Amino acid sequence: MKRDALLRSPLPMLVVLALAWWLVVPALKIEARYLPPLGAVIADARSVWPDLLAGFWRTLLETVIGFFIGAALGIAAGIGFAQWRWLERGVFPIFVALQSVPVIAFGAIVVIWFGNTLASKVVIALYLAFFPIAVNTLRGLQEADPQRMALMRSFGASSRQMFLKLSLPTALPTIMIGLKIGLSLALAGAIVGEWFGDTVGLGVMLLQALYFEQVPRLWVLILTCGGLGTLLYGGAGLIERRFIWWRAE
Amino acid sequence: MALAFVRTLTGAAVALAFGLAASSAASAAEKVSIRLKWVAQAQFAGIYVAKAKGFYADAGLDATINPGGPNINVETLVASGADTFGIASGTEGMLYSREKGLPLVCVGMSQQMTPFAFVTYDSSGIKSVKDFKGKKVAVWFTGVQYTLYSVMAHEGLSQKDAQIIAQPFSMQPFIDKQYDVATVTLYNELNTLKEQGINNIRLFMPDDSGVTTQQDALVTSEKMIKEKPEQVQAFVTATLKGWKYAFEHKSEAVDIVMAAGAGLERKHQELMLDEIQRVMTAKLGGSEGLGAIDMKAVSDVQDSLVKFEALKKPVDLKAAFDSSFWAKVPAADKKL
Repeated sequence: MKRDALLRSPLPMLVVLALAWWLVVPALKIEARYLPPLGAVIADARSVWPDLLAGFWRTLLETVIGFFIGAALGIAAGIGFAQWRWLERGVFPIFVALQSVPVIAFGAIVVIWFGNTLASKVVIALYLAFFPIAVNTLRGLQEADPQRMALMRSFGASSRQMFLKLSLPTALPTIMIGLKIGLSLALAGAIVGEWFGDTVGLGVMLLQALYFEQVPRLWVLILTCGGLGTLLYGGAGLIERRFIWWRAE
Repeated sequence: MALAFVRTLTGAAVALAFGLAASSAASAAEKVSIRLKWVAQAQFAGIYVAKAKGFYADAGLDATINPGGPNINVETLVASGADTFGIASGTEGMLYSREKGLPLVCVGMSQQMTPFAFVTYDSSGIKSVKDFKGKKVAVWFTGVQYTLYSVMAHEGLSQKDAQIIAQPFSMQPFIDKQYDVATVTLYNELNTLKEQGINNIRLFMPDDSGVTTQQDALVTSEKMIKEKPEQVQAFVTATLKGWKYAFEHKSEAVDIVMAAGAGLERKHQELMLDEIQRVMTAKLGGSEGLGAIDMKAVSDVQDSLVKFEALKKPVDLKAAFDSSFWAKVPAADKKL
């Protein structure tokens, strides 16, 4: 049973990939600038361990705060749109337009407004996370079966009861999809946000590695960013399995 | 609904900003920010040293150093007042900003000689800039292309004589010999090449062709100069003092830079500081002192930009460059 669980986890595949990296690079004499040996990447990670850890926490913090505010605003907007058609018609197109503004252009303004603070990264993470969450909340709330709605109404259910007992539970799996997309985007937003000037964070280290052409450092950061993303996504998946086990119909 | 919330949030932020501004006016040291053109590294050692050694504080400035990045436009941030001071691009950047009508003033120039160079392999057969003819020449299109055009013009070549292509962030294509000539900065890419063991290269310095463009301009807004000239003076004096101290205590300066940035390599930073010292103490930096503005070079650059139609018409150099603060810095603080 335990062995089965282990085999089903991504762990064996990770070990295989690491082994392949470790063996294939020297065997095929791949040049370090294309793919450095795994040992060099690990050694580089160890040499900047404290900075890496500090960067990891900082980027995690920016992502999580941005995501939660983005999620709150996104769900609120989605509910609002589902409730009032005029709001959807009036405001939704503006959000679509905002969403098409490249984050680079938007970021320059964010720096003028918020300076080099944590807030400026949070705002960029929020900006990216918001839209998919709002859209998925709206779509999810529109999925409630009209026949069931009619049935509940005929039994005298209030709109509040219909929302809490039917629309919201139906929508939750779809909202969850939005939240997972939003989470990944919030991480990307936090990393890009750090490119607008900072001293701590995975994005800053990425920038320096690019500038000084430190290829092993780039791989360290690719793996760290990937690890952070996986951790966040995994956490969301865990919450989903625990609390929202039913599927969208 | 959400929009209203965002508006409230922005309103709160603006209120907070005003609140901060109001409270800072009451305190002894004036709150100012210095925006760099790139992330923390030895290129800005003088600024970090001035902060760490208390030169800004002694001059009555409570300075915050804001690092830059690829998406940061120092000129806009300083001209808009989002940042008080800045280490901005250089001669060309100043001229373009003024042409666009930005109320930005250069009060000093860090790098006294062109910090860019053109590099080729010994085996390329290129022995002088004249040999660029018919070759693939890569240059950053961030303004450095005009330095290349000027250098070629000074050597009797027109832009069409060479195949000029845009150079990416990385030196890899040059290492792979995808083009004949590449552009480097003396304080970073050249070191990168050397560290990768590439020494069979020849350098062409723009200054040798008579083209000097100063870089890393100390800038502030016209508003600051008009309303708080004493702060501008304090910034210029303390910054140059920081640089002098950094060059006289290099190891300590590298320590300070290392503490300010994340994941920096000490060796990189030491090499960078050496080269920065070389470009900052060259020419007027040696004879007149750190931070001098070379008005002759500025007007030459302007002439060639106008000739290449990169500038539509000359800008008022007297309004764009103000040496008066630099002139008031005591010689002891700017001469090594």
